[in-house]
Amino acid sequence: MEAGGNGKEREEEQDGMSVHSPCKAPPSSASSLPKEQSQVELELRLLEALEIYPPVKLRGIHRHFVLYGLMEFLRRSFDRYFSPDEVLQLLDRFYNIEMLKPDDEESEILGHEEDFTLPQSYFVKEE
Amino acid sequence: MGSSSKDDSGSDGEASSGDAPPSNSGLFSEGERVLAYHGPRIYEAKVQRAELRKKEWRYFVHYLGWNKNWDEWIGTDRLLKHTEENVLKQQALEKKQGVDKSSKLGRSAQTKPKVSTDAKVDKEEQKNNVTKGKKRKSGSDIEKDNFSVEKLVKIQIPSTLKKQLLDDWEYVTQQDKLVKLPRSPNVDDILTKYLEYRSKKDGMMTDSVGEILKGIRCYFDKALPVMLLYKKERQQYQDAVKNDTSPSTIYGAEHLLRLFVKLPELLAYVNIEEETLTRMQQKLLDFLKFLQKNQSTFFLSAYDGSKVSEGKGKGKDD
Repeated sequence: MEAGGNGKEREEEQDGMSVHSPCKAPPSSASSLPKEQSQVELELRLLEALEIYPPVKLRGIHRHFVLYGLMEFLRRSFDRYFSPDEVLQLLDRFYNIEMLKPDDEESEILGHEEDFTLPQSYFVKEE
Repeated sequence: MGSSSKDDSGSDGEASSGDAPPSNSGLFSEGERVLAYHGPRIYEAKVQRAELRKKEWRYFVHYLGWNKNWDEWIGTDRLLKHTEENVLKQQALEKKQGVDKSSKLGRSAQTKPKVSTDAKVDKEEQKNNVTKGKKRKSGSDIEKDNFSVEKLVKIQIPSTLKKQLLDDWEYVTQQDKLVKLPRSPNVDDILTKYLEYRSKKDGMMTDSVGEILKGIRCYFDKALPVMLLYKKERQQYQDAVKNDTSPSTIYGAEHLLRLFVKLPELLAYVNIEEETLTRMQQKLLDFLKFLQKNQSTFFLSAYDGSKVSEGKGKGKDD
């Protein structure tokens, strides 16, 4: 009889692992751990991202750019693509976005009506 | 005038101690938009609170576009009224900083500055070391200055589109003409066409582009009446855009292009990572190139010279 560790291996045979492979820790029994880890990792990174992109900004006029920023942050952290929906779903664990009150910055930007003007540089001819 | 510790001059009939009503907050009032010195530059700010401390007025200001962490108490010596004259002052300081930009970045990164062919830069650096010591007193100051240097996204508008903007200016402000509304294609159509174009090219993963385009539409709808119209177009706007109509269904490329002139300002109010900003920049530039490619179909070559208010007659069918 082989050692306990390898005995487990026998069970994994159906996974395509050769019964002859010695002393290798069966991956599938350990794989449930990384999965939990990666979920935690995901959430940690998301919280990290929220320091740069506060959830409250997802309620204002910048919300699409903020969401894009979150997508990019996660993409770089995990080296894979994140869709906007996936990001929003992740956020949903922590925040009820609809309940957040948009901050008053919008009134700063949009509060003052001004006539459009072209920057001076447009009117300077450089031949 | 019986309140105990209030020796302030020029205030009349104030309330009980502690809560000074806005009208009695000295030179600046709560909620007032002002200009404030921070470091070597002047920034737009808003007075959040005003308090009299030891016979001096102190104002808690928030710098517009900056994180609330930067909010601070300052005195009247650092405050300016938001007048044209002071705005010019602000721009003058900005220009001055522009010269020092490159040297500034090098220094704060704590690395030796790259060997520059421009000896002037090095000289400026030395000058900065002496006179602008204040800037490096606290790490946060450097951060803010560098932040502002990197913060503004640069949107390079292609030259034929710049010409389009000049023509646009000419037609509306000099020739009293207007863009005939509603436009076809409108902003919505153009953004959709671009997404289709990109999907064909990339084949997949157009969500990023899609999100950015949604952002642009969002900005356009909100910003149009606030900062994208010439004065002469305001009446037309009132007539064309009723309550729940989105401007993006009425206006077209001409006004969309104006948004791109203002985009850096708008984006300055959002904190975005540098790397992400760079990618966005590329995508926005690609969109502009798309506009350029389709310039003849998207943009009007002639505006409407007939004034609706002057009744019929002046059609354009000569």
